[in-house]
Amino acid sequence: MKLLSSNQPSMATTPADSPDRSIDDFAEQMNEAEKNKYTKGRKLGEGTYANVYLGTLKSDPTKLVAIKKIKIQTDYKEGMAPDAIRELKHLQELSHPNIISLLSVFSSKDQNLNLVLEFLPLGDLEMLIKDTKNIRYGAGDIKAWMGMLSRGIYFCHANFVLHRDIKPNNLLIADDGEVKLADFGLARSFADPYRPMTSNVITRWYRPPELLFGTQHYSGAVDIWSVGLVFAELVLRMPYIAGDTEVHQVNLLTQAVGTPTEENWPGVSKLPAYTVPLPHTPVREKDYYNQMFGTAGIVGVDLLMQMLVLDPSKRITAKEVLNHDWWYTDPKPTRNKNLPRKGGGEEAVVADLKRRPGVVEDERTAKIARKLDFGNMA
Amino acid sequence: MSEDERYRASTQFRLWSFTLYALHAQRTQTNLNAAARVRAAVRRVREVRRADTPDGGNGNVPSMAPEAETDCLTVEEEKKLIAFYCRQALDLGDFLGLGNEVKATAVQYIKRFYVTNSVMTYSPADILKTALFFATKTENHYFRLTKFAEKLPNTKAEDILALEFLLTQGLRFTFDVRHPYRALEGAVMELLAIANHDVPLLPGVEGAYPPKPHNMQNRVFAVHSNARQYLKISALLTDVYFHFTPSQIMMASLLIADSSLTEWFISSKFPSTAEAEEVKLKILATITSCADMLREVNPIRSKEEIDLERSQMKPLGKKLNKCRNPEKMDLVALQKSKREGDGGVDEKVIKKRKMEKEKFAKEGEDLFGPGLKGS
Repeated sequence: MKLLSSNQPSMATTPADSPDRSIDDFAEQMNEAEKNKYTKGRKLGEGTYANVYLGTLKSDPTKLVAIKKIKIQTDYKEGMAPDAIRELKHLQELSHPNIISLLSVFSSKDQNLNLVLEFLPLGDLEMLIKDTKNIRYGAGDIKAWMGMLSRGIYFCHANFVLHRDIKPNNLLIADDGEVKLADFGLARSFADPYRPMTSNVITRWYRPPELLFGTQHYSGAVDIWSVGLVFAELVLRMPYIAGDTEVHQVNLLTQAVGTPTEENWPGVSKLPAYTVPLPHTPVREKDYYNQMFGTAGIVGVDLLMQMLVLDPSKRITAKEVLNHDWWYTDPKPTRNKNLPRKGGGEEAVVADLKRRPGVVEDERTAKIARKLDFGNMA
Repeated sequence: MSEDERYRASTQFRLWSFTLYALHAQRTQTNLNAAARVRAAVRRVREVRRADTPDGGNGNVPSMAPEAETDCLTVEEEKKLIAFYCRQALDLGDFLGLGNEVKATAVQYIKRFYVTNSVMTYSPADILKTALFFATKTENHYFRLTKFAEKLPNTKAEDILALEFLLTQGLRFTFDVRHPYRALEGAVMELLAIANHDVPLLPGVEGAYPPKPHNMQNRVFAVHSNARQYLKISALLTDVYFHFTPSQIMMASLLIADSSLTEWFISSKFPSTAEAEEVKLKILATITSCADMLREVNPIRSKEEIDLERSQMKPLGKKLNKCRNPEKMDLVALQKSKREGDGGVDEKVIKKRKMEKEKFAKEGEDLFGPGLKGS
């Protein structure tokens, strides 16, 4: 270690073995204390955004944690990256059984951030949805998963936080089957009235019409749309509205749900990017949904339809979701211990955690970071 | 989960709320530790100097006290300096056109940082720039770093970034700050609605209106702007965020702006039972002590008051220059060496930075630095 001082260039070559360097700032002492609570185990995986390590609690080595070490990003010259800041800012505040727990944060010598997260070994909902060969599930299971997701998102909204990236592979599964909302790299607090926010959020397939039309003023309704599409995907076992481009997404959305018009959504035509294909498709009726999503039952379909209302001001709110009749209708939600689960294990954890927040990863658009224009972003 | 429970889960409550005694004890500890380190560092620097110059060194290093023990700042002096630089941060925020939330958050970052760090170790003149820049990111008000640095006198992008990590560590990686601004808007909306008889005084209780204060609507308008001033300035520059909740701070600002209206507002929420009376008195006492603390800083100052503060700051600034930790002067180099592991920084780089620093020092000799560009 070398001491550096601009006033004393000669110091630069003086080795500093002075004892009181070790009792540096109070903040550094606290940082050391946090760091010393955990043993960093082997590296589970390496990604572009972060490396993931298995960790254990020193006081109780049977307790496993995931240590996500954020890499310093060479392509971002503005200091700590916004996605890391967002994730830290919100996870530090939100403590709920259906939101991934941030147990601790510390920095290592080279000033890399280390996020100590709860260990969620059973993969994510997307893995279960896709594995049609080995995984079978029914209405009670869907209800259990949807219940956990709904409670998590209600808690975010009650704390004035928009998640802005809900999708099946951000819904991780704990050892006991509990679903946890993860990846807060795009989250933000509600804006004050009249203050614009960027519309370029939420992975395309789960993005609501108001964002596709470029609105800069929106609410928790954007997350509810995504929750609705997760619901639909759980039933269909494939994404419901999977557009290749934004235009394609609008076209598919129009066919699946109906064309947004001044009649069903007053004011929509004034949104900056409002264009819809002709001829208009009428808003889909109950029969259409019942045919397609029958597994969810009639009451479940009613909830789904309320989540997929085009006009965000008429869409169901997170609180209303929790009060919906579906939760009180048979079948009961499956108990966690009886929920279908995948082998999962370490590979699954790694796949989930090393992903860069806010990055769309699917077969068609493998690893394309959504372009966020931070210059104009609010 | 009630609103109170949610607030108690916040980092603002868990990590950044203190009793008066605990905050003072922590600041004292920080001050004593820093002073001990400054003295140790100065001793080391002198030893090296003695070893380098056969005649024992003649002390031609600027801003270094003669061989006597370094005279360090006291806790009270540090507090005055921090308060002064927090105000500078507000002014700089205005100059940069930053939103109210960004400025408010930045000032709290500075205050939180200096709970566990001393101005003798890290200069508040540097920290305030980094705090403002970092707050633009946490408050979703992105500002290009290069543009940001360009607008500030004698500041380079790397100067701002060199302190970012230190700042976040000092903040214990908690970035959310809860302000009283929305609470004020809510209270004003409710008071106006009550003035116009639009809402019941208590949820679900119809018609139980006590006689309303005289000329209520106009008074509410006046209260709004007056209370806002206290929240935008006094609340930030005093310690109220460390000791009270956002809603208590907001109520205190109302109390200052119109005490009889505010007392009526609070009283109207309590039924007339002995038990409720007790709770009400407790709440009023808390809000009153918060208001007393808010009054320590007047939101509007005369030119004389500003000049007086400056003249008081000058000797403090001089004293600070003499007791700054010599090992923490070049934070850019320090940061580089940390990032790149413990391998040193090129001698040339150090020399170049030293020359730049000296040039800057000549340009802005005094504590306040040169004037802001264009102001």
